[in-house]
Amino acid sequence: MALCCTAVSCTIDKADYEAEAGNSETDRYEFEEATTLHTQGYNISIEVPNGEFRKGYNEIRVKIEDSKGKNANASTVTSLPIMSRYADGSNLSCPHQYHLTHNDDGYFEGYAVFTEESEKGDWQIYIGFTVNGVSYQTNGSITVNEQTNKNLNMTSFTGNDGEAYTIALIAPRKPEVAENDIVAGIYKRNHPTGEPETFPDSSHFSYSRVNGYTLQLDPRMPEPSMGNHSSPNNRDLTQQSDSLYHGVVNYTMTGNWTLNFILLDQSGKIVKGTKVPSDFTPGVEGVKSELFIDILF
Amino acid sequence: MKFIIAIAIFGTMAANAQTVPAEKDSVQTLEEVEVVGTAKKKIETDLKMGVTVDEYLSSSTDISFIKRGSFAWEPLLHNMSSERASVTIDGMHIFGACTDKMDPVTSYVESNNLSGIAIKSGQTGSLHGATIAGNIDLNRKNTPFGLEKKWGASYQSGFEFNNNQWFNLGNISYSGKRLAADASVSYRKAGNYSDGNNDEVKHSQFSKFNTSLGMAYKTGERSSVRADAIFDVAKNVGFPALPMDLWLSRAIITSVSYRQLFEGKLAKNWETKLYFNAIEHYMDDTTRPENLVHMDMPGWSTTYGLLSKTSLQQGRFTSEIQLNAYENLSIAEMHMYPQDRSKKTMFAYSWPEVTTRFAGVSANGSWEISEKSRLNFGGAVALHYNRSKYAEFNRIFHPEAAAEKTRFLPNLHLGYLLETGDFQFSIGSGYGHRAPSVSEGYGYYIYNSFDRYDYIGNPNLKNEISYEINAGAGFKNNKASIEAKVNYFYIKNYIVGKILNAGSPMNYQSVGVKGYTSLPHATLFNLSLNASYQVLSNLHWEAALTYARGRDANDGNLPFIRPLSYQTTLHFKVDQFGLQTSFNGDATQRDYSPFYGEDQTPAYAIWNVSADYTFAMGDCVTVVQVGAENLFDQYYSTYADWGNIPRMGRNIFTSLKFNF
Repeated sequence: MALCCTAVSCTIDKADYEAEAGNSETDRYEFEEATTLHTQGYNISIEVPNGEFRKGYNEIRVKIEDSKGKNANASTVTSLPIMSRYADGSNLSCPHQYHLTHNDDGYFEGYAVFTEESEKGDWQIYIGFTVNGVSYQTNGSITVNEQTNKNLNMTSFTGNDGEAYTIALIAPRKPEVAENDIVAGIYKRNHPTGEPETFPDSSHFSYSRVNGYTLQLDPRMPEPSMGNHSSPNNRDLTQQSDSLYHGVVNYTMTGNWTLNFILLDQSGKIVKGTKVPSDFTPGVEGVKSELFIDILF
Repeated sequence: MKFIIAIAIFGTMAANAQTVPAEKDSVQTLEEVEVVGTAKKKIETDLKMGVTVDEYLSSSTDISFIKRGSFAWEPLLHNMSSERASVTIDGMHIFGACTDKMDPVTSYVESNNLSGIAIKSGQTGSLHGATIAGNIDLNRKNTPFGLEKKWGASYQSGFEFNNNQWFNLGNISYSGKRLAADASVSYRKAGNYSDGNNDEVKHSQFSKFNTSLGMAYKTGERSSVRADAIFDVAKNVGFPALPMDLWLSRAIITSVSYRQLFEGKLAKNWETKLYFNAIEHYMDDTTRPENLVHMDMPGWSTTYGLLSKTSLQQGRFTSEIQLNAYENLSIAEMHMYPQDRSKKTMFAYSWPEVTTRFAGVSANGSWEISEKSRLNFGGAVALHYNRSKYAEFNRIFHPEAAAEKTRFLPNLHLGYLLETGDFQFSIGSGYGHRAPSVSEGYGYYIYNSFDRYDYIGNPNLKNEISYEINAGAGFKNNKASIEAKVNYFYIKNYIVGKILNAGSPMNYQSVGVKGYTSLPHATLFNLSLNASYQVLSNLHWEAALTYARGRDANDGNLPFIRPLSYQTTLHFKVDQFGLQTSFNGDATQRDYSPFYGEDQTPAYAIWNVSADYTFAMGDCVTVVQVGAENLFDQYYSTYADWGNIPRMGRNIFTSLKFNF
């Protein structure tokens, strides 16, 4: 009987795969208030997932209430994040939705893809809205933290066409050793027309979603011992009705993966990215495309 | 240390159960069937008495082995890999926990806890569950009630010089009126062996501890309960042909059974057994600093089962009906450690928690048409269910794969046997299905160091279906015997690995990815010839010849098909002195398969001799044996030596056995 007991209890514990595949950081995704602004009796509450602005793609919800805490029935709500760099004092923005969308729950929804963390400069968010025909404008400082979920990493680059692009991963937040639907936003900085008017002039900090491009995908494990390991049945990302880019990525095991990309414009011309070798090369660190995002799960 | 003390205790006990015939009074009939069936069979070969289970099995012409080292050889029945054969212990199903087949079921028993091994070919082996190649049933020692000699014991020790193997096997048995018990304990420890060129084959060491206990209690005049347990630990086992070794494997194999005899009724007996076995298996590559990446590959296999059988007899008709049900859970993990250990490990399941449930009814019957002729027949129907807990792993290569799959497995066989005078003829046929194994169905990046491919299972594989014919002819008189047996299998949906043009290897040694797929069909032909002749009253000659041919649907050769092989043995016995010599070898592997990663293995022949002396010291019968295998230190490797690792060079062995 004693023998039986010692043998039934395992010498080495089995992996707790479900716990390993998702830590609490990536599991939780709830909108919480990140900051509130006040102007002329109105309270503007800005909510982001888990109450923290992070580098990369952030969904944003704005709620505007009057002093009694009632929905202010605001309209034409705008949002504009601007960072003033500590290094040179220059101002820059990031891909964002300027005109927020009203949803049925009384929120105004949008997104911002922060390209820098707050340690590089001071991020201000400028909110504009209209109540009963009167326009209001306010701004406040926000903190953009490091992206702790590497599956939501982003990259900014200048394309071969000279344009400034940003690619941000939106999904999967919690990848699995499985076929994963991958979603990315691809953005491009718009060229300002004319001289700036009063600061901040949104037309000088404007970005738009890139339409009709293709993001070719080649996921590989960069670790030398993995010998440039890849996975089968991946699908390139193409734009869908939500104007985001959707594709399929298969992760064959947990660990470090590099998503090697080639961005093609509407005519199939390469905007950025290089083809990576597909040879199996044990002991050699995987060669990355010119355009890539590293993830980890 | 434990085992040495145990052996010392056993050594002081005296008596012998094995050679005493059971008396047939009503009290003692209970275990009689087993006694008649197995008492004469000893687990030893003609040449060597201190054999391992593997060495014993290899003396059968039906069995060949894939060898990855000097331990835990994978038995091939009729040149078919272990997925196609069922290996059971007294009908109990057990499944190894290693994805690389380092632990066939036969590695978890020891020669001294077995009384015999029953090999059934093709569909005649379907009594214990669906099979294609047949069944290898390992029979536990089982002392009957009420023997004249209550206590029996034996102790055997030996040393083999090539790999410094030292083994100790101890047994004890008790036979009371109501209580019977068997216990065994064994320990083997071996260092690296040397090949025929006297080069050390690194990572070929092993150590194995095995102990077993069986107790039967008579609950009534014709009924008894029996509990059995085997506990086996192998530690620090090298696999020279693989990139990893074994740190530890442990198995606990338990059962309780109830047996009832009936007299004067259609049913002669009825036995029901509940069983449980658990295996844990931990591979280890820390002994291989040359490996690029450190990996942990633990595996677990747990099986619960039920077996219930009854024997019927009515006139010239006898039959066995058996119910088999089991559930197995197989889990295998792969953890890879990046060079920078501070980084997160890479993880995947090689077996993503795969559950197998099996339930089936099988029957074997025999109808004695006349004194001379008999018709044997049988069949089985079974349901086989698989579930992959993490089916998303399987969907990477098979996006449409379902997590669950149920299969229906029918098996049928029919044979006719004719005996006239000294001649015997048989002819038979069979039809049967088998389900893919856990690796074939759900395996995930299982590295095969033979062809150096990573293998991916396919949950959608069809059942493998075998159509089989067999025939035999023999002659036997007082002096000589000769027997020829042939069988031919036409196997539909034959499962093999095929190169996939998708994905890339995960294990750094591999060159590509193969997926298990079904060939339209494959065929297998086996021929064996056995002859013996009593040259003089004290000089006996035996010989065997086997030939096999396996082809896939494109007429290409199948892998691991044994080339023409032969063995011949001479025994000479004068009084207490015995001398044996044997010569065996394989011809050049003519029909090898480069497509499946094989290269041609040259012919080899080795010569073995042994001498023994038997004497009595009071109640104790003592046998001493000394011999040499591969006497001329031939350097060779066989067609089924994984990665062409060389076999052992000259090995001088000694053995000493006491029977009390």
